[in-house]
Amino acid sequence: MLITEMKQKDALLPHFSGKVFFLVCHGCKEVHFPEAEVEAFKAELMAADKLTGYLTTDYICNPENLTLRLAKHAQAIDDADVIAVFSCGVGVQTVAGMYPAKKVVACCDTYALPGFQGVTPLEYDCKQCGQCYLNLTGGICPITACSKSLINGQCGGAKNGMCEVDPNMECGWERIQRRLAQIGRLDALKCSVQLRNYATDDLVNQ
Amino acid sequence: MENYTKYALKDSDALTQLLREQDQIFVIACNKCFKEYTSDKNTELEKFLELANSLEKTITGVIRPDFLCNKTKAEGKLNQLIPQDSRCVFVLGCGLGIQTVADCVNLPVYAATDSLNYTGHHGMALTKKACDACAQCYLTATGGICPIVDCSKSLLNGQCGGAKNGKCEVSPDKDCAWEKIQQRLSAQGRLNEFLNLNVQLRDYSKVNYKVISEYVKAIRESRLDGYYGGVHPSEHKEFSEHQPLVRFADPQIAVIPMSQHLGAPASPTVQVGDYVTVGQKIGEPTAFISAPVHASISGTVIAIEDRPHASRGQCLAVVIESDGKNTLHESVQPHGDLNDLTAEQIVAIVRDAGIVGMGGAGFPTAVKLTPKTPVDTILLNGCECEPYLTADHKLLLAYGDEVIFGLQAILKATGAQKGVIVIEDNKPDAVELLQQKTAQYENIEVCVAKTKYPQGAEKMLIKRVTGRQVPSGGLPADVGVVVSNVATAKAISDAIQLGMPLIERIVSVTGEHIANPGNFIAKIGTSVQSLVDACGGITGSDVTVKAGGPMMGFVQSTLDTPIMKGSNGIIAVDSDATQEVACIQCGRCVDVCPMELKPLHFAKFADEGNWAGMKQQSVMDCIECRCCEYICSSKIPLIKKIKAGKAAVREMK
Amino acid sequence: MRITELFDKGQFVVTAEVGPPKGIDASHLVDEAKTYLSGITAVNVTDNQSSVMRMGSLPACVALKNAGLTPILQLTCRDRNRIALQSELLGAAMLGIDNILCLTGDHTKMGDHPQAKPVFDLDSVSLLHTVCQLEKGVDLGGNALLGEAPKFAKGAVVSPCSESVDAQLAKMERKVMAGAEYFQTQAVYEPEKFIEFMEKAKQFGKPVQLGIVIPKSAGMAKFMNNNVAGIHIPQEMIDELAADKEKAKAGITGVEIAARIIKECKPYCQGVHIMALGWESKVPEILKLAGI
Repeated sequence: MLITEMKQKDALLPHFSGKVFFLVCHGCKEVHFPEAEVEAFKAELMAADKLTGYLTTDYICNPENLTLRLAKHAQAIDDADVIAVFSCGVGVQTVAGMYPAKKVVACCDTYALPGFQGVTPLEYDCKQCGQCYLNLTGGICPITACSKSLINGQCGGAKNGMCEVDPNMECGWERIQRRLAQIGRLDALKCSVQLRNYATDDLVNQ
Repeated sequence: MENYTKYALKDSDALTQLLREQDQIFVIACNKCFKEYTSDKNTELEKFLELANSLEKTITGVIRPDFLCNKTKAEGKLNQLIPQDSRCVFVLGCGLGIQTVADCVNLPVYAATDSLNYTGHHGMALTKKACDACAQCYLTATGGICPIVDCSKSLLNGQCGGAKNGKCEVSPDKDCAWEKIQQRLSAQGRLNEFLNLNVQLRDYSKVNYKVISEYVKAIRESRLDGYYGGVHPSEHKEFSEHQPLVRFADPQIAVIPMSQHLGAPASPTVQVGDYVTVGQKIGEPTAFISAPVHASISGTVIAIEDRPHASRGQCLAVVIESDGKNTLHESVQPHGDLNDLTAEQIVAIVRDAGIVGMGGAGFPTAVKLTPKTPVDTILLNGCECEPYLTADHKLLLAYGDEVIFGLQAILKATGAQKGVIVIEDNKPDAVELLQQKTAQYENIEVCVAKTKYPQGAEKMLIKRVTGRQVPSGGLPADVGVVVSNVATAKAISDAIQLGMPLIERIVSVTGEHIANPGNFIAKIGTSVQSLVDACGGITGSDVTVKAGGPMMGFVQSTLDTPIMKGSNGIIAVDSDATQEVACIQCGRCVDVCPMELKPLHFAKFADEGNWAGMKQQSVMDCIECRCCEYICSSKIPLIKKIKAGKAAVREMK
Repeated sequence: MRITELFDKGQFVVTAEVGPPKGIDASHLVDEAKTYLSGITAVNVTDNQSSVMRMGSLPACVALKNAGLTPILQLTCRDRNRIALQSELLGAAMLGIDNILCLTGDHTKMGDHPQAKPVFDLDSVSLLHTVCQLEKGVDLGGNALLGEAPKFAKGAVVSPCSESVDAQLAKMERKVMAGAEYFQTQAVYEPEKFIEFMEKAKQFGKPVQLGIVIPKSAGMAKFMNNNVAGIHIPQEMIDELAADKEKAKAGITGVEIAARIIKECKPYCQGVHIMALGWESKVPEILKLAGI
């Protein structure tokens, strides 16, 4: 799941030479997007007579619907020197693909959140490593629950059971150890040395 | 659209090894997501069962949940579903589903599948690798082509030496991203911009997991805040919330529909040519669930005929031409002190005054006030959770005392001990005012609810305020609660204190396409056109007009409809042009449905005419709040399909 | 000389740790080591310790070796993927560096380049496994090495006083399984905890060197308690450091404490590893006081 944060205005303004069309994506609606900041920025540029038009809508990553929705803004986009897109990276690329001759400015940075389905980020994360380790770890993912994604056990960085990188995050391997003890599966730690395969995306890219 | 799947079965050697020492196996196979919803087949499950069978393993049961990772729904249920004799659980799901199960069940959990590596695949159907969420978007500098995902090395500063004939060294099928970037930038005349750029360095600390984990925590809490799901559409209250409440001129012609409520339409008690006065009954109820209708102006009945109706297309209406005198009917007499009235008398006054739920649904209030089971709590809904609308907000500010009086009358009529006025936190002035006004009443309090749609829906409101869950197919009274709108309470006050039946209400006329939005006290029967005209008319083209709010309101093809008892607003908003595509099981509808249904099945079943399936998925519990349709990434008109399903299920009975 | 040979002989092995400079002049490092550490068995050279960028461990090891000392190459998985780690190991072997200590490494966010990409392609366990593969004449990709295979004394680390001692023991077991031949521990301030740990670690049959960080002041002790993983300094020790500030400042208290811990733990371990953190000059004194 992706969320966005608006880039610093100072970083954006130099890109807005000439007139600008604002295309704002609500994201996946219930998934965070910087609504208030974008609205304020829009008002500012409107006051400065920089905008040829704007559209706030959802799912701009869907090119078919975006085409339908932008039909009535054709003139405004034509008049603009720059299309400013407030969305995740997918949305920006969709727009850039639709208007290859226009300068498209990516106005947000995109972050990933745990979970795929729905709109609520999950407690658990899955990095889609393609070689599920959960059988060895009592169902706690070492790739996402450990800051270093270690797969052979705890590092020396845990302090009071917390991670060295984030003292608010419990050490993943501490949790794994506890879970395995609980379910009587400490034998899982005796498995052979685990090595990651970083080429699992081959399967998907075929 | 490509058929995306999230997990693959581990190879049979690995599975055989996993299964070797296990028996009495319970199997959970997630129905997958981001996959075109066309078939219920799960080939991975079939293969797994085949293998387990060949190894002579006992399977104690198989379940196939939707969205296994939705822990709110998975936990609790899972342990109940697993038979006692199970000794382990095998999960076919992505890493999220497996972790959910491992966290929820007390048996050893085994992963029978690997998540496929779809890193970077985001967007509608995850069919294309498009965004790696690097938290430092480079797309401006690269002409909208992503150097992180499109370049095998994620290079930021230009092409490496590995491209051959414009193809990547890593996979010859793949275009070199930097070749494409070069072409795009040069076509746009922006090469210099790129050449003059500072050296780009990736900042791997930019993905701030602290911000993310705090956000995740906050958003998870807010989604379950008060009740499961719901949505937060842009509020747009700004158009009218600071406009004063103005009394609108009485109409010259009042068109008063006989059906402004749930249940049987009223039957006209006047004839063309009759002279009627303000507050005079012109239509009487024809069934237990029905309500009388009254004249809102004085004058002559000039027609009794079908007229355009905001939600029913056409409806029988009594049309009155004003004599401009506003003569009161003799029946309009104050009913005296509330203390002197019995519960039965209050109910009778409410019934005779034609009072119905003014939040939009229009359920006859007198029926609500005589519940079959005892109630202890009355909730007054002042949430106004629909975007744009500000009618109830204005009412609370202008008629706080009347609302409280109405609530006292309801308390007395129902014998409930406590009254709660629920107001969303986006109306702080109303909250403060009502808190002041209710301070002196021991049995009345104000509850401030965090804004979330559909807060005002009865079942959500009850869950939020009292924590009680209205059973499937049940009524609020089943859990000891009666819910009423604040405007309804004010109407009850008018009926008792002034003796005036329900002949006027507050309406917001608003939206980005209304020239001068405003809030008006309008007589029932006032034409929508006249209200819109008074607001300077509709601006721009390609406008959608709705009676009610954007979520549950009805699209209007004409402005030649009258204001009715439930008309809380007229909005003119941007039209949205979209096209329905196939469901991809993104799960968003399941995440937002406050009734905890799974609307994606309704879309499929309605198209197939599978009404039994719809019934089994509890379509009758749907409150038609439209959250699912609002969030749907495939733009499926779910409510239309749900309504068809409900009608079919009703006929099945 | 591989230090495992000394363990095999039953020798009590003393090592100390030095950090390469953030710069190109290693003369100070070499001088200090020559002056204060020439009496001990070997000297660990850290690998961008605490994720703070410095001169590489390998060249600093070579400088020490040229000065007549026995260096131990520390190798972390934070900054290099499996290709770089293996080539580094081959280079070390060519240069005659045959003692190594395999670590996962602190996270990049802990150091002075928090924006850097944390690699962790391998971890300490898989790194040990990789070293064993190289020793068999095969790389991790399964390709044969040309000519003679390298041979290392393969060390690893463990935190005996960690709150997560079970997880640490489990990891230690995996390290042994992957090929670790000796262990150096995180700093120990609680001999009773260490002894308890050693009772459990005995089963692995690998030599363990007691880790010592000289406590320089009460302030440093408190800081380590709050911030350094696997370290806990008891209150009495902090009081002891706070009692006579001048004495502590002169290093006398720290040396006394370190020597006392070594004395108490010596019967239970096979060596000591001193992390002097700049107080290399105190090492001879500690050893003298501890009776080594």
